[in-house]
Amino acid sequence: MPSEMDQFVAEVTTFLDAHATRRARAAEDVAWGEGEDRITYFSTDPPEVENAKVAAAKAWQRTRYDNGFGWLTGPTAFGGRGLTTLHDLVYDGLEAAYEVPETGVLSLIGLGMIGPTILAHGTDELRQRYLPRLYSGEIIACQLFSEPAAGSDLAGLETKAVREGDGWVLNGQKVWTSVAHHAAIGLALCRTDPDKPKHRGITAFIVDMTAPGVDIRPLRQMSGGSEFNEVFLTDVHVSDDHRLGPVDGGWGVALTTLMNERASVGGEGAGPVGRAVALPFLTELLRANGRLDDGAARRRLAELHADTLATEYLNHQMIRKFRAGEQPGPEASVSKLMYAQNLTRGAHFAAEIIGPRLIADTGAWGTYSWTELLLSTPALRILGGTEEIMKNILAERVLGLPKEPGIDTRSPFRELRRSVGSTGSGRSGE
Amino acid sequence: MSTEDTTSTELDELRSAVRDFMAAKADERAVRAAIDSERGYDDKVWAQMAEQLGLQSLALPTEHGGDGYGLVELTVVLEEMGRALLPSPFLSSVVLAGTALVAAGGDEAGRILPGIAAGTTTATLAPPSVDGGWSLGGRGAGDAIAVTASAGTDDVTLDGTAPLVLDGAGADVLLVVAGGPAGPGLYAVDAGAGAAGLTRTPLPVLDLTRRIAKVTFAATPARLVGAAGGAAAILDRVLDVATTALAAEQVGGARACLVASTTYAKDRVQFGRQIGSFQAVKHKAADMLTRVQVADAAAREAARAVDGVADAPDPGVAAAVAHAVCSEAFLAVATENIQVHGGIGFTWEHAAHLYYRRAKASQLLFGGPAVYYERLLAKAGV
Repeated sequence: MPSEMDQFVAEVTTFLDAHATRRARAAEDVAWGEGEDRITYFSTDPPEVENAKVAAAKAWQRTRYDNGFGWLTGPTAFGGRGLTTLHDLVYDGLEAAYEVPETGVLSLIGLGMIGPTILAHGTDELRQRYLPRLYSGEIIACQLFSEPAAGSDLAGLETKAVREGDGWVLNGQKVWTSVAHHAAIGLALCRTDPDKPKHRGITAFIVDMTAPGVDIRPLRQMSGGSEFNEVFLTDVHVSDDHRLGPVDGGWGVALTTLMNERASVGGEGAGPVGRAVALPFLTELLRANGRLDDGAARRRLAELHADTLATEYLNHQMIRKFRAGEQPGPEASVSKLMYAQNLTRGAHFAAEIIGPRLIADTGAWGTYSWTELLLSTPALRILGGTEEIMKNILAERVLGLPKEPGIDTRSPFRELRRSVGSTGSGRSGE
Repeated sequence: MSTEDTTSTELDELRSAVRDFMAAKADERAVRAAIDSERGYDDKVWAQMAEQLGLQSLALPTEHGGDGYGLVELTVVLEEMGRALLPSPFLSSVVLAGTALVAAGGDEAGRILPGIAAGTTTATLAPPSVDGGWSLGGRGAGDAIAVTASAGTDDVTLDGTAPLVLDGAGADVLLVVAGGPAGPGLYAVDAGAGAAGLTRTPLPVLDLTRRIAKVTFAATPARLVGAAGGAAAILDRVLDVATTALAAEQVGGARACLVASTTYAKDRVQFGRQIGSFQAVKHKAADMLTRVQVADAAAREAARAVDGVADAPDPGVAAAVAHAVCSEAFLAVATENIQVHGGIGFTWEHAAHLYYRRAKASQLLFGGPAVYYERLLAKAGV
């Protein structure tokens, strides 16, 4: 490793030692039967607990930012450090050894996806206005993309933006909007010209989530919590200086966001969830249930461990490519598919070992607590692009297989069929 | 020469040199001709591999006529051989016997290794147990050691039958793990000139590109290699190296199947569309790609680990992961390759079955799933 990186490691360590406590035990050590046994992927906290966690996340991000670690890869002109993705990875690796607040509420959407999109497509004024506030933890951003009728087919979105004087008026409904209830701004994709083909009549805007006409309603997830929302936009005024990219050029903006989304979902192997389905913890689970000599259980454990480690090796390979200055190939998409699969298998393997004590809370440590993860894993095959869409992308972009012949990318949007009842023409005039 | 010194550009150059060689010398026609030949491989190609590219010597130690590279380099070669399904004694002679001899050390190893490195001697290593497995005993009757050695270090003789010896009929030197007075040890039999009491019977094989023979020893003269009773440590090293080498070969084979399926899915038209435009086929191809990517990462990580690269994981664990993941991946991809091709993929003339045969036989070569999953747990301390 070059000495520049050694210096960086020393700098991070000094910062973390000064502002955080080192974990009592190594992250991967198992404390069987002790402490917290919840394995939470999606939050199921009551609002006051959730709000306290959001406040702690913002405070920790502020501390990172004030010490130069808030946005390692960002340009210095907008509050970043001008470093590389490798520095990000190194920082994350070092921070994992410390007790620090979980900052996913800021980072997964706002810092991981919206920030890079503003950086790539925003005017200097927009970048100056929002990027330092985002990366210093002052505000949270959300992604106003999906709609009830535009899920996998995102370009079929119908929320309208109509010019009015110096600005735009937005009307429509967005859905599956994570962290909208904590967000100060949202990145919205809107239909600006229904007479153009669907990918070419979309424009992107930064929306003030506290503006009149923005109505945020929580959606309760099957896992019990409410991390995402539906967002209704009714005559919401957005000034033209909050447009991101050219008029009708929003699809290119969206692609930047989606590319960053795929990069941010795959590599989440560590953390409490990852540890719960890793070999040391599952081995203790077998031991505690007297199944360590059970051939069938051992076989499933080994199969899971092999795939989990191989996925980890795939992530290592991606990091080595970054380090060598190479562009990684399809590793991130493959890693995302494998992560969903491995986590799901791990949860069901644990359930099989635990047996009936998983279906009702007997109070026994580490049994009923697995229900949270079991109820969360179905989402992993949907969020950030469904498994089916990911496979289309791998097959078409990596392997070069032909696109679906039925997909119409040429006809005007208003002529496309958008529901079982509709025939296309005229519907957008409703 | 440490493996850390080989840049990715140099590895790419090595890959393209080997790929060009395979394209010229081991296309499908050449592979089928080798399959039908008496020896099972083309000895002229084998000689050219040594003389033109120095492949046999690449990863053997410099003091024994090798070039001193590691598995990071060797697996690039093996991946290309696997892609081409090259029939050759490379796995048996260079990987199995070469690794066993290097691990054993001593004069006998020093005598045999330069010939292996030069490609002028072929050697092989017999699996130790009576059922053709690689365990040194402990689990049951099938694990009993197949061959026993007489006492002494000089005029040793071997007795017994090794049932499944890779390239056992043609190898010049047979390395045998035999039960001896000091426990299982490694012994060498010079088979080239036809040793006394040695019977070698070629067997019908599932994988047409790899020959296997039953070898019977009846008071056959042999020499101890390395320390008396030293086989356990040697075998452990051999299995880490050989399964890592095999993993790279499997990745190459799997990649060839993926390319064949993708190409066919773009060419074949049904219902007025290229079949690759149907999601049923497209998603199958994406699943194959996913398998290949993960297997590729596992094989590379294992090569780095076995070479002892600084930030690599434990070699035993990484090799076991690669062996399991690459075995499963190659078999799955080779199976789906037949499915994507439909009826034509089930014909003798199509290459799909050659890969399927190689995939299934490779999966079982060192014991199969029941063995490799337990080996992974053992290496991980469970």
